[in-house]
Amino acid sequence: MSLKEKIEKWKKLEEEAREIRRSEADWNFIESQPPKIRAALKFYVETGDIRLASRIADMSIEEFRGLLRSARIPVVV
Amino acid sequence: MSAEEFAIADTCFLIDWASWRQRDLLFRLFKTVFVPELVIREIKSERTVEWVASSLSSGSLSLFTETPDIISFARDLVERSKLFPVRGIDLPEAICLAAGRMRNYVVITENRGALMAADFIEELSGVKVWRSLELIAEGLRRKLIKGDPRKVFAEYEMDTGHRFPRKDLEVMLHELEGEN
Repeated sequence: MSLKEKIEKWKKLEEEAREIRRSEADWNFIESQPPKIRAALKFYVETGDIRLASRIADMSIEEFRGLLRSARIPVVV
Repeated sequence: MSAEEFAIADTCFLIDWASWRQRDLLFRLFKTVFVPELVIREIKSERTVEWVASSLSSGSLSLFTETPDIISFARDLVERSKLFPVRGIDLPEAICLAAGRMRNYVVITENRGALMAADFIEELSGVKVWRSLELIAEGLRRKLIKGDPRKVFAEYEMDTGHRFPRKDLEVMLHELEGEN
């Protein structure tokens, strides 16, 4: 598989994962959070990058993982 | 050493796996699973810390102290992962991938960036990178865990809040069912 094909494959997989996160997230929960947490959760829904999202939320990765469960945002890997 | 004897785990994997009812499968698959110091520093919750600490004391997990050559290679991997128009990796995952390459360990991760890096970066070709999906499947194949594979994977999703990509899961289930 060429590099271009690999990039396209991963972009497609990322888009599928993003759609799952968007559709299953509890948006009422997300919107009810304080601004920094809300922004971090939305960032995670769009990117799936838990380390950066947890930094935005000013939480440890584990605390943020718990928050994702509360927000019903699945980790798709 | 054979790749199947040693593995190295990243933070997201350990956090998820600590929540799974059959988590000790990990120690039946590998002689020891290394945990980088950088990863241990990211583990905070009582449940995960207790599991990691008791597994370190029994020798099922071992501390992996990053050496200068591993760190240097890992930093190089972080930079190179940012050259592609997809998600990159951070140092903790890069250390696992560097150890996978340099020490022939199986890299176990739930970080998609690590999977992408292993796919894109030429020096990482041949490094075995497994997700929970592959680990659980291996446990089922070797009959280290028993039960209906669909139920086992569903329990993992329920316990951890993880979601296997449906296509990958169906392919894996098809393979497992074909083997039985």
